[in-house]
Amino acid sequence: MTFAVFRKELKDHVRDRRSMLSGLIMPVIGPLAFLGMFTLIASWIRQDKPLIVPVAGGANAPNLIAFLQRQGAIVETAPADFEAQVRDGKLDLALSVPEDYGKEFEAGRSAPVQLFEDSSRTKSRPSVMRARRLLEIYVRRMSALRMIARGVSPTLVAPLEVTDLDLATAEKTAANVLGMMPLFLLMAVFMGGLHLAIDSTAGERERGSLEPLLVNPVRRGAVAVGKWLAVVAAAVTAIVVALLGFMLAIARVPLQDLGIKFHLGAPELIGMLLACVPLAFFAAALEMTAALFARTFKEAQTYLSMMLLVPIIPAAFVTLQPIKTTLPALLVPVLGQTLLMADVLRGEPPPAAWFAAAALSASACAAAMLLWTARLLESEKIVFGRGAGG
Amino acid sequence: MIEVSRLHKRFGEVVAVDDVSFSAADGVVTGLLGPNGAGKTTTLRMLTTLIAPDRGEARIDGLPVAANPIEARRRIGVLPDARGLYPRLTAREHIEYAGALHGIAEKVLRPRVEELIDLLDMRSIADRRADGFSHGERVKVALARALIHEPRNVMLDEPTNGLDVMSTRAVRDLIRRLRDQGKCVLFSSHVMQEVSALCDRIVIIARGRVLADGTPEEIRGRAGTENLEEAFVSVIGSDQGLLQ
Repeated sequence: MTFAVFRKELKDHVRDRRSMLSGLIMPVIGPLAFLGMFTLIASWIRQDKPLIVPVAGGANAPNLIAFLQRQGAIVETAPADFEAQVRDGKLDLALSVPEDYGKEFEAGRSAPVQLFEDSSRTKSRPSVMRARRLLEIYVRRMSALRMIARGVSPTLVAPLEVTDLDLATAEKTAANVLGMMPLFLLMAVFMGGLHLAIDSTAGERERGSLEPLLVNPVRRGAVAVGKWLAVVAAAVTAIVVALLGFMLAIARVPLQDLGIKFHLGAPELIGMLLACVPLAFFAAALEMTAALFARTFKEAQTYLSMMLLVPIIPAAFVTLQPIKTTLPALLVPVLGQTLLMADVLRGEPPPAAWFAAAALSASACAAAMLLWTARLLESEKIVFGRGAGG
Repeated sequence: MIEVSRLHKRFGEVVAVDDVSFSAADGVVTGLLGPNGAGKTTTLRMLTTLIAPDRGEARIDGLPVAANPIEARRRIGVLPDARGLYPRLTAREHIEYAGALHGIAEKVLRPRVEELIDLLDMRSIADRRADGFSHGERVKVALARALIHEPRNVMLDEPTNGLDVMSTRAVRDLIRRLRDQGKCVLFSSHVMQEVSALCDRIVIIARGRVLADGTPEEIRGRAGTENLEEAFVSVIGSDQGLLQ
């Protein structure tokens, strides 16, 4: 009987295009966001390539060249036809130091340097910007030195000093993005079966098919378990889709280049699955129980979307402010799974016993919720809604 | 065989069913007649174990339903007040689902589904999804799923309510056929013509109480009138809701 209910609910669900879409589109949003963000981060890293500055007449300004090298730029001797090469895009830029540089500089005048660039080329713009920034720094330093030599405080002509403190290195950002993976998986756990959970409880009553279902010689527990299994199946499908999506997304970005020693291979996928599936047991039962209290499908949708914030908030908190994995924390559904997944991501897979503890706790909570669902199906008020008369 | 003795059910302040007793024998069509809100549906729901009575007992084939809900439900076929269908399942799938819930093996189930599809003249809608079904088509599907396990006892809550003439005729034919097969048929209605056209025995119920119980002749005789309609009015004390 349980199987008959399970099979019918799944068939019904698969035919419901809206329900399928809401269950399957959502889990691929995470991987797509990953792909976008990692691609973005990788492009920052590409900017971290050493800046190459071809210089013509570098011997005229040894101090400037030494400064550029100290700042990490690779100074090369520019080829004779550097102008043409810049125009053709073969060189991003070129710096030319005229012979009278030294004379002008010594005299305390503005020494000439020429920065050759082709501003129509977007590709070379980051390099030009960086070279320009370095030159500006050099100008500021030199002017400060000149003022000090004349007994004037350099701060006089620098009313503002802006310091750029970019704490988010590309590596750190990439690690943060990766840390959001548990959140996306939690969404898959809770959203994957949500529509089916509502449709098979509040929806079943609203369309008047609950009473015909319950007059069959089937125990309420069997009805509840059959429906629950279908909701779990939908949620697990969403989890698997999300994990496959992450696998494909992460395979497309060179995580190693981002300084992340994380590899989403079979052991990691299994670890994620082992963490998520028991939570899906609980989520399915919780959603069904809550939906049974609603009068209509719409009302259940409203209740449940509010209720979903409750597990997401602590999970988001843990993602942003990691806490240590301890046994009591593992036993709290959602929190425990978030911690397990975070550990797997960090490359420190927890021992099997921890997985088992979290799974047992989530399953026990699921069983309690399921018993409650079966009890609710016995209740006249729940089965017939308010005002069972006639 | 359906028996109800001294059933009582209260919802908050409202007494829905008050000391109701009657019985419906095999091979007989018994009509539960009463205005809307008389307690007919609540009585049927107590018989189908969906509602627990405050007092009294309901028995199916001599079996107290409260103590044996699963066995009781196995012995009845029910067209409940709510007869919703699943919009994405076909008519045939609805009947098959009911069969599976009764634990009927696929081999036995298939020919029985075909039989019901023919019996209720639903060949043209058998493989269509229920989404666009007319009211009459919905009732046919609901009837078919109620009868898939060939129950000895059949309970129909307002089966012809809202049906057109042709569908009403089909349902009446079905009820007579079930009676001729020796089944116990109990149906509720608030339409006097419906009950008088079909019933061998009539139980009149109003405000949760049984006001009269007997064959149409007995009820006419007791009321002292040749006209059944007059008899109903005199029994109930008003013609509220009974005449269409």
